[in-house]
Amino acid sequence: MDKSIFIGMSGAKQTMLAQQAHANNLANVNTTGFKRDFAQARSMPVYGEHFPTRAYAMTERPGTDLSAGALMETGRGLDVAIGGEGWLTVQAETGEEVFTRSGSLSVDVNGLMRTATGEPVLGNGGPVALPPYDGLVIGQDGTVSIVPVGGPPDQLVQVDRLKLVNPPQDALMKGTDGFIRRKPDQAIDGAEPLDVNVRVESGFLEASNVNAVEEMISNLELARQYEMQVKVMQTAKSNSDATARLLQNLG
Amino acid sequence: MHPALWVSKTGLSAQDTNMSTISNNLANVNTTGFKRDRAVFQDLLYQINRQPGGMSTENSELPSGLQLGTGVRVVGTAKQFTQGNLQVTEQPLDMAVNGRGFFQVLLPDGEIAYTRDGQFQLNADGDVVNANGYPLEPNINVPENTTSITVGTDGTVSAVVENQAAPVQLGNVTLVNFVNPQGLMAVGNNLFRETNSSGAPQEGEPGIGGLGTIEQGMTESSNVEVVEELVNMITTQRAYEMNSKVVSTTDQMLQFLSQNVG
Repeated sequence: MDKSIFIGMSGAKQTMLAQQAHANNLANVNTTGFKRDFAQARSMPVYGEHFPTRAYAMTERPGTDLSAGALMETGRGLDVAIGGEGWLTVQAETGEEVFTRSGSLSVDVNGLMRTATGEPVLGNGGPVALPPYDGLVIGQDGTVSIVPVGGPPDQLVQVDRLKLVNPPQDALMKGTDGFIRRKPDQAIDGAEPLDVNVRVESGFLEASNVNAVEEMISNLELARQYEMQVKVMQTAKSNSDATARLLQNLG
Repeated sequence: MHPALWVSKTGLSAQDTNMSTISNNLANVNTTGFKRDRAVFQDLLYQINRQPGGMSTENSELPSGLQLGTGVRVVGTAKQFTQGNLQVTEQPLDMAVNGRGFFQVLLPDGEIAYTRDGQFQLNADGDVVNANGYPLEPNINVPENTTSITVGTDGTVSAVVENQAAPVQLGNVTLVNFVNPQGLMAVGNNLFRETNSSGAPQEGEPGIGGLGTIEQGMTESSNVEVVEELVNMITTQRAYEMNSKVVSTTDQMLQFLSQNVG
């Protein structure tokens, strides 16, 4: 059989993987704070002691688009969006410090501030813990102040400050849990340093940065590419059929 | 099968859930004391198809791997306990909580449920009950021949009874608060039940200790913002359409494959 059929097959298979990446972006078009993934293909020559004619396609995720999404007003005091660059730090299930821009926060029964998915939000010294309060205000610099229970509303008490960080974008990657973290080769000793210039907007949430039109077009484009790869397989098959017929006629 | 099919399927079902949440909010736009829900989306786990930094040959290394997301899901619905507007009804037994706090009603099974719906009425025995007939807790009994009932902002209920000059004190309406009201379980009929994540109810006198005051002759309207819900509905519908487009495109790809190869 002609080897080109395998090349066509690898192309078709990698196209399917790229399409999964785009489908995932599109599925998360309404997910708060979601950052879309890039997908690209590159050619991988087949190494070995043979004539170097074959190069397979290989889909890869070169990175994640960390650009900001639109801000949506919710009016809820515990919803925070980051204006400009920067990240909220939360504690992942593994215990490590990870970054997110999904700021739909809530306070649990023990007074711990958590993200919508349950991870504790980190402040100046570990997770933010709030005493019982009547009112809560998150300032632009991440300062969390409360009106204590029964206290006069004009006497706010500063409790903690959200840990807002801004590591360099090229040092970041998305982990398998969807949170952003430092790449292993860009790790720093100790905790991520605080960045005092990061600003939060209380009462807003950041929408997903997925461009739906772009993802749809990529999806259609990949579908056509897939058809072309199938065509290569089909051609390889008809070539092979023709060869078989020739051999039959010889006999 | 094609992985994009499953990914878009998760997108479709998440948008579907979002749409149910939105339609429930809209359906309850006129429900007294209703608190709107918001669906919370989360991306699903990523699969590592090719490890970044792996060796492609003995002498070369993959600069970036392939990590593919597997879709989206709705992890929860978050109740938004913002204050609804207060509407004047001038009914003496309509009460609204202005601020934090819930009324307590006694369910027929002996458990206590919590509500922001303060449309109370009297039953045949003179007990103050809610629209379902569940008595207010602590119970308040209104004597016969009562000409007027007054509920103070601190919850004190007093009545003027015929042929008596001084008003009679009937009892106190208390309110309860929770550390995490979002953790309450909505059971329908405008009622909530306590859960482990809401914490234990903290009972108190209205207007003190962070509890809201009681406003007689008013009801709290639903906190659903119609415009916001309609905008959410549009984005949800479009997201649904686009995800279904991916499903049909993917299906056509597989159809093309099976027709042309084999």
